[in-house]
Amino acid sequence: MSLWRQFTRGLRVLGNRKAADRETADEVSHYLEEATAALIARGLAPDEARRVARLELGGATAVREQVRGYGWENRVDILLADLRYAARSLAGNPGFTGVSVLTLALGIGASTAIFSVVDAVLLRALPYPHPEKIVRVWEQAPDSHRMNLADPNFDDFRTQSDTFADLAIYADWLSSVSGGSEPVRVDIAEVSSGFFEALGVAPSRGRGFAAEEQRLHGAPAAIVSYGYWQRYLGGATDLSRFHLRLEAAVYPVIGVMPEGFDFPAGVAAWIPREFDPILSRTAHNWRCLGRVLDGVTVAQARANLSAIARRIRNQYGKKVDLSDAAVVPLADALVGDVRTALLTLLAAVGLLLLVACANVAGLLLARTSARRKELAVRAALGAGRGRLIQQFLAESFWLSLAGGTLGILIAAWAVRILPAILPANLPRQEGVAINAPVLLFALAAIVAVTVSLGLFAAWRAATGDLQEALMAGSRSYSGTGASQRLRGFLTIGEIATTLVILAGAGLLGRSFLRLISTSPGFSPQNLITMEFSLPAPQWHMEEPVLVRQIHLVDDILTRLRAIPGARTVGFAGAFPVAAGDDLADGTFLILNGQKPPATFDEFERMAQNPSQAGHASYCLAGEAYFRTMGIPLIRGRMFGEQDDRNSPHVAVISESLALERWPHQDPLGQTIEFGNMDGDLRPLTIVGIAGDVRARGLDFPPSPIIYVDYRQRGVNANASPTILTRSAGPAGEIVSTARSIFHDLAPDVPVKFSTFADEMGGWLADRRFLLLLVGLFAAAALALAAVGIYGVVAFSVTRRTQEIGIRIALGAQRSAVVRLIVGEGARLAIVGVAIGIAASFAITRLLSSLLFGVSATDPITFAGVAVLLCLVALLASYIPARRAMRLDPNSALRYE
Amino acid sequence: MDEPNTDLIQGTLDMLILKALSLEPMHGYGIARRIEQVSRGVFKVNPGSLLTAFQRLERVGWLDSEWRQTDKSRRAKFYSLTRAGRKQLEVETTNWNRRASAIARLLRAEG
Repeated sequence: MSLWRQFTRGLRVLGNRKAADRETADEVSHYLEEATAALIARGLAPDEARRVARLELGGATAVREQVRGYGWENRVDILLADLRYAARSLAGNPGFTGVSVLTLALGIGASTAIFSVVDAVLLRALPYPHPEKIVRVWEQAPDSHRMNLADPNFDDFRTQSDTFADLAIYADWLSSVSGGSEPVRVDIAEVSSGFFEALGVAPSRGRGFAAEEQRLHGAPAAIVSYGYWQRYLGGATDLSRFHLRLEAAVYPVIGVMPEGFDFPAGVAAWIPREFDPILSRTAHNWRCLGRVLDGVTVAQARANLSAIARRIRNQYGKKVDLSDAAVVPLADALVGDVRTALLTLLAAVGLLLLVACANVAGLLLARTSARRKELAVRAALGAGRGRLIQQFLAESFWLSLAGGTLGILIAAWAVRILPAILPANLPRQEGVAINAPVLLFALAAIVAVTVSLGLFAAWRAATGDLQEALMAGSRSYSGTGASQRLRGFLTIGEIATTLVILAGAGLLGRSFLRLISTSPGFSPQNLITMEFSLPAPQWHMEEPVLVRQIHLVDDILTRLRAIPGARTVGFAGAFPVAAGDDLADGTFLILNGQKPPATFDEFERMAQNPSQAGHASYCLAGEAYFRTMGIPLIRGRMFGEQDDRNSPHVAVISESLALERWPHQDPLGQTIEFGNMDGDLRPLTIVGIAGDVRARGLDFPPSPIIYVDYRQRGVNANASPTILTRSAGPAGEIVSTARSIFHDLAPDVPVKFSTFADEMGGWLADRRFLLLLVGLFAAAALALAAVGIYGVVAFSVTRRTQEIGIRIALGAQRSAVVRLIVGEGARLAIVGVAIGIAASFAITRLLSSLLFGVSATDPITFAGVAVLLCLVALLASYIPARRAMRLDPNSALRYE
Repeated sequence: MDEPNTDLIQGTLDMLILKALSLEPMHGYGIARRIEQVSRGVFKVNPGSLLTAFQRLERVGWLDSEWRQTDKSRRAKFYSLTRAGRKQLEVETTNWNRRASAIARLLRAEG
């Protein structure tokens, strides 16, 4: 009740301050009149009575002020007055205000934009019910290497564990899908029962998979994504008329997932696939996810699966390669390596904000020194320390509010353009937006900046002697030595922080240069890529189908080779540089004169002997592929005309495999068995050794590869066929001709045309993005640091104008003056750089996982950025030094 | 200002105002006069403190105010006790009496 009264009365006063003041004045004057009247009644003369009454009252104005000063609304009044005063005083100093606001806007805007990405990718919960219970599961090898699951192991995990509500396997791959409005090449996922249950999401239309669909060789059915349904099924309500044709089988569409459901990312359709008991325990084909039971922790679930994995190991020994299991929350698994990169960005941008604040603090300090007298006068007139602090807080409030608002606008703009530069493989980036948590972050940044800058300035203003400040003549305008020293410290801090960002950017930059100058083992220029899928690639293909496919590929190649401008055209079973696992890999047998295995069981048995087993990637290729890619033949021969379906099958191996498996022997002429890759148990004779290719990506060591001839092995299930064309002419013309050739020869086959540079660029995009942003932040920090140094040195020149005048008048050389002034900047720079290098040594270690071919303490990078920073510092101090050099001693001596 | 005890004991001003108003509504000067007269000039009220105290007591809800004509047909702000104010006066009076008699007992014991 009384609080409410306090509030409403206060509001009434605030709402009409004039009326309230008039009322007080009326009351006071009435009081005075009554007092006077009473004195007259006692017999005093009217004039005397008025004088005495006034004396008793103690001044009408003082009383009015005393009454007026009561209540919370008065504090609000004072605050508003301070804010008004601060706004006027900032507006009266547009240079200072502009620079400060822009600096803060840059810092707050950049950090808000980066935070929006961090929020969407790292912080926001996954869009599933109880996302913390969803986990990814892997088999783990004795060397801690994580592997996908093999069917029988998964079955053991599922049936023997008691910590999971659901456990499911899934895999996705690119496939051509027809049955919608047009055939497309999209991602398809095969999922086992429990998949949608583990994620906790059900189709929004139609139904989920039924029991007769969720068994081995069960009834076919497909659930499509909302996007596919909208785009290719016209968003139709009646799903029963749609049948998807993929991999030569027909799947009735039974359901549509809700909008926004996107797991695995980018998948257009899900089809059921169940556990197949005949498969080997080392065929790690399936990704696994699960939902833990209520009340079970991830650690408990892991312990549970570890025990099962050990049991499997004990039972099967060398026949399995797992010895443990890994269980990781899905959110962590999705984000993976991106975490380090994003946290690096956040750290860089945080440092940038720090530099920005230090810069504004430096400016404030200069301003405080200039206002020393004003402050001293205010303090002498009775302004309490609280009022002075409030005054500074009001100023820094305006600065950071303006800077923050501008910063949020910058961030909103940045978020709009971010999708264009964000790397495509960044998970969950579609959620990047300026939303409540991001605005909250910006607000927190604004408050932090306001408070820290305001208190800093107030602290500076409050220290020092009042009297001294009052008595110091106009010369105190240039600030005391103490405040100049403090600005020096601030600048040193700025330089040190800038050096840390620069060092990070430098290391990332050198990694990037290393990476793009790493030879991939082929020449990537002017390569056009055509990825496609042939109908019906299967494990065991009928001979006529196989032959027909080989002929189709040959026909396409012949027509493509006839295109003018297409220099060489080659065929391969996989895209040669891929971020993912495009090449299949597995165990092969070295026969050493033994009879090749007749069955896969026998193959498995022989593979138990490590002396005759090896591990390599499997790549289907034609002879022209090597010429097109520019992969050199090191020894032996390439595939030739004589190698056809019925002649002995041959293989070409990569150099690293030759060195690894046959270090002291000649691999040429050896026979190997790799039929587990394509279902064809005919042995392969090694006829040639080709140069290494970094097939898994530029920052991975070259993979050992066994190339086999597609005309001998057929375009089988383990191939994602790709035609590569080295072009002389413009890519556009060749692509349009190629498109019509595909249309003529294989109208059902969807083709994805691209250029190699684009594909590789996309692959390097995440590194380029990181480098670009950290580089930008480093450049911004460098600019701010330069401004900071300039500010300190320029100020010092102003302060020392008389001294310099005396020096020049006494005959100092102009160059000596320049040295004197530049030396001041250089001292700051050297101390800052030294501190920065020490800090960087500690900090850049955290970057290790993002570096390639460069150590985290790379001396060249550190020396480079140190020199760069020193040069900038010298330049920034040279400008004021020149001014000092040109001082006219006559006017300098008279300078006040 | 040579009279002794012109300053009020801290915290008693509120009670005196309430007491003065317990008979009839009054304006500011009237209240000051009443306190002075009844205390026979022992307490002299500082007008500034008095007017500020009105603000405070009004906010707390013990006083109401109203602009009215005086008998000399001038406009003045008249204060009156609210029901809460009356209750508060009782509470303060009781407290004061208890404290005063305790102090009196103490002084007697010392003597």
